[in-house]
Amino acid sequence: MVIVLVLQILFVTLLSCLVGLFLIGLSRKMTARIHWRYGPPLSQPFIDIVKWFSQTAVSHGKLFDAGMIFSLTGSVVVVLFLPFGGICPLRGSGGLLVILYLMLIAPLGIALSAGEAANPYASIGVSRKLQLAFGYELSLLMILLSLMTYYRTVSIVDIVEAQIQSGWSLVQLPLVVSGLAYLLIMPAIMGIRPFEMIQAPQEISSGPMAEYGGKFLAFATLQHALNIYIGLSLFVNLFLGGGSNAGYFLIKLLLAFMVFQVIHAVWPRFRIEQAVRCLWRWPALLAFIGLIIVWVTTS
Amino acid sequence: MKLEILLAVVFGGSLLTYLLGKISKRARDILAILVLLAATAGIASLYGRSSTAILCTGFLDFPLVLRIHPFAWIFALTIAVVGLCAVIFSWHYIRKKGRTDFFYFMMLLVISSMIGIVLSGDFLSFYIFWEIMSWSTFLLISYNREEAIAAGMKYIVMSVAGSLVMLVGMISLYTQTGTLVFEGITRNLNSASSGYLQFILILFFVAFGIKNAIWPLHVWLPPAHSEAPSPFSSVLSGILIKIGTFGFILLIYGIVQVQVFVNLGHALFNVRNLLLLLGAVTILLPTFIALLQDDAKRLLAWSTVAQAGYMILGIAYGTSESLSGGTLHFFNHALFKSLLFMVVGAVEFRTNGVRDLNSLGGLIKKMPVTFAAGLIGVCGLIGVPLTNGFVSKWLIYHTLIVNHSPFLAFVALLGTWGTILYSYKLIHHIFLGQLPRKYEQLNAAPVSMKVPMIFLSLAVVVFGVLPGLPLHVINLSEIGFGMEPLAINMWGVVTGSGTIQMLNIATALTLGGIVLWLFFRMGRKNTRADQLDNYAAGAPVPADRYQYSVKFYDPLTSMIAPYLKDTADNFYSALARGIRNVGNGIRRIYTGDVGNYVMYIILFLAILIFIQLYWKVW
Repeated sequence: MVIVLVLQILFVTLLSCLVGLFLIGLSRKMTARIHWRYGPPLSQPFIDIVKWFSQTAVSHGKLFDAGMIFSLTGSVVVVLFLPFGGICPLRGSGGLLVILYLMLIAPLGIALSAGEAANPYASIGVSRKLQLAFGYELSLLMILLSLMTYYRTVSIVDIVEAQIQSGWSLVQLPLVVSGLAYLLIMPAIMGIRPFEMIQAPQEISSGPMAEYGGKFLAFATLQHALNIYIGLSLFVNLFLGGGSNAGYFLIKLLLAFMVFQVIHAVWPRFRIEQAVRCLWRWPALLAFIGLIIVWVTTS
Repeated sequence: MKLEILLAVVFGGSLLTYLLGKISKRARDILAILVLLAATAGIASLYGRSSTAILCTGFLDFPLVLRIHPFAWIFALTIAVVGLCAVIFSWHYIRKKGRTDFFYFMMLLVISSMIGIVLSGDFLSFYIFWEIMSWSTFLLISYNREEAIAAGMKYIVMSVAGSLVMLVGMISLYTQTGTLVFEGITRNLNSASSGYLQFILILFFVAFGIKNAIWPLHVWLPPAHSEAPSPFSSVLSGILIKIGTFGFILLIYGIVQVQVFVNLGHALFNVRNLLLLLGAVTILLPTFIALLQDDAKRLLAWSTVAQAGYMILGIAYGTSESLSGGTLHFFNHALFKSLLFMVVGAVEFRTNGVRDLNSLGGLIKKMPVTFAAGLIGVCGLIGVPLTNGFVSKWLIYHTLIVNHSPFLAFVALLGTWGTILYSYKLIHHIFLGQLPRKYEQLNAAPVSMKVPMIFLSLAVVVFGVLPGLPLHVINLSEIGFGMEPLAINMWGVVTGSGTIQMLNIATALTLGGIVLWLFFRMGRKNTRADQLDNYAAGAPVPADRYQYSVKFYDPLTSMIAPYLKDTADNFYSALARGIRNVGNGIRRIYTGDVGNYVMYIILFLAILIFIQLYWKVW
């Protein structure tokens, strides 16, 4: 029993890291091809991680180190709460509400770590990240509440199982409006264009990442990879019916990723106040209507 | 320990502390700590006890009754422990200032009267202790004089208004039921009509709501918290305003009974929905207003108002899970918010009174323990897993979701996301970023401040990992209220629709952290860099001339600020102005000239005679 659990944990953690890194590579390749460039090989993120680990890094203090470890820990633990095509190592420990809170740890860790660097660009980046998160959480919370109200549970595993019984949430009539709102905020959750102002390499030197080099950059990249995985996995599990097995789940993940990647490749970047305004207008309105529909139909 | 003796120890102890201060300052400080240690031990020894004691049978022909039960116990213990921490914190903090005997006397008196309130068994003793608390609080808020006097006045005017409303409620209850003892009132209130119950509830809600700072009765709180001396801010925010919460629980669950409360009135327009609505507004508005604050203590004060909203939501919702969530949140909030006020107080102490977030920065290098305490405090406030705020908020969200109130759940969740923004602002502006040159010689906080901060930080983490400890006591009190207790274990709560299990979360986070730390150690060793030695894309960062924490969330706050006028405060100010104008008008009549008064009398008589002649009234 314990051995199975440990194996599941190792499997899910490693595979999600690999998937995340692969998706970063794929993203660079796809963007390059859409821009009529050749682009780096798909294996580039893996090569980078190994390379960074062997380089000397600059640290600004204890919190600078600890925040980075804290952040990656947060992401790894979130992964254990998300169903990976039928495998969910930490089912029954609090469900979606815990996932929502655990998802805080990663940005909080980066924010603390980058805060100690005393770099103005890092602080600007963190400030933007927190504002953007506040922007999309407004809609995300309403979307998750419509799901939890509709399925009458806070457990993500139950939601996936209910979808296996009765079809995807995205095509269920009361939930379709919430699903549309989710599609609109997905780029913001994943931090891709048009909501890329956190990193904005040409403007604020990659924001929170500005001071990271060597193994810090390796950790930050791993965290970014997991973050992509988490954002997509949440969407696939909640609205695209998860997956009855790991392969099916990964195919859905890949397809969803490619859709958003096309948007990323051709859109310019919002300013932060434009982004918040945009997020608080249509997605929030849709999410609110969705919640009302669910609330009325289930009561 | 007997209840009478307990009260005698705390009240006698506060007077003795004052007198001893005239002889030796050191002995006074030690005595104050000893008194509260004794009180803590005494209350702890009453664990699980439910008993009643008659303090005196014939005070104004009313009996004064004291009683202890698990629900009062958890409040009393929290009060004693947080009070003790605040008094230890005062050791160095208050020494620089004048009138220290008076400070200690009032501090102990406030704590004693709060213990008195939670142990009262009838409304008369409740009211007496309530008034002692209100007035000694007023004196402490105004302790720093100048602006603090205005803050204190605002507090005491609202407090007196609340007390008067409560007095009306008490008299009405007495005429209706013929007794002031809580148990007697409950027995005799069975026959009361629904309308009468709602009337009584609203009267008491005004009184308790003012103490608990519910919107729109919150206006006294932000100035009072920011002007009071920091150790007292801890007490004020951590426990004193929660006496209002205690009142709410006592009234709804102890006296009216929750089954009656949830069925009162019309399906839509009833006192429960009113309270839920006010709770939601109390979460939302103050959270946004806290985002705009640049004064560390004022930011925390607004945050206190917002957190009180969660408790009201939990209490008014009326399920055993929501009551557990609300009560647990009271307990947790007392720990982390008093901790945060101490953190800000320690910084204020070392920097000679700087509370402006925009002129601090980088203090993590100088005050690492204070920083760690602050970090744990804000984690508790946000509710990061493994800190205590997480479980209490989870319980509130969960009960709101499964009982089909998604909009209330949304407000509660959104409030938390706002909390992240202002919490990070607090931590970042004080401790992170560039250390200004003027603070390069700063010392770490003195031991007397570190001890309570470390203790409270540990408590925040321990009760975050083992929520079963406080939940066990809360379950006992719910059984006392005749409710179904929650299915709990040491690590969490089990419900039919979702469970929370801190053991898994704690193990995963700790093991994950250790593994990743080892992994991190395996990489190439890093070198340390100075704060000015950083990458700036070709534009060097000048030391001391670069304050990048100013207007941290400006794009967001400038968007929402126009909608965040404190309308309640404006209304009361307008009301106060109006009353002053009316008063000025009336004063014109009282000229002090006897001739004028004779004229008034003659005019009045003339009017009476005129009326009689014309209409033949008499």
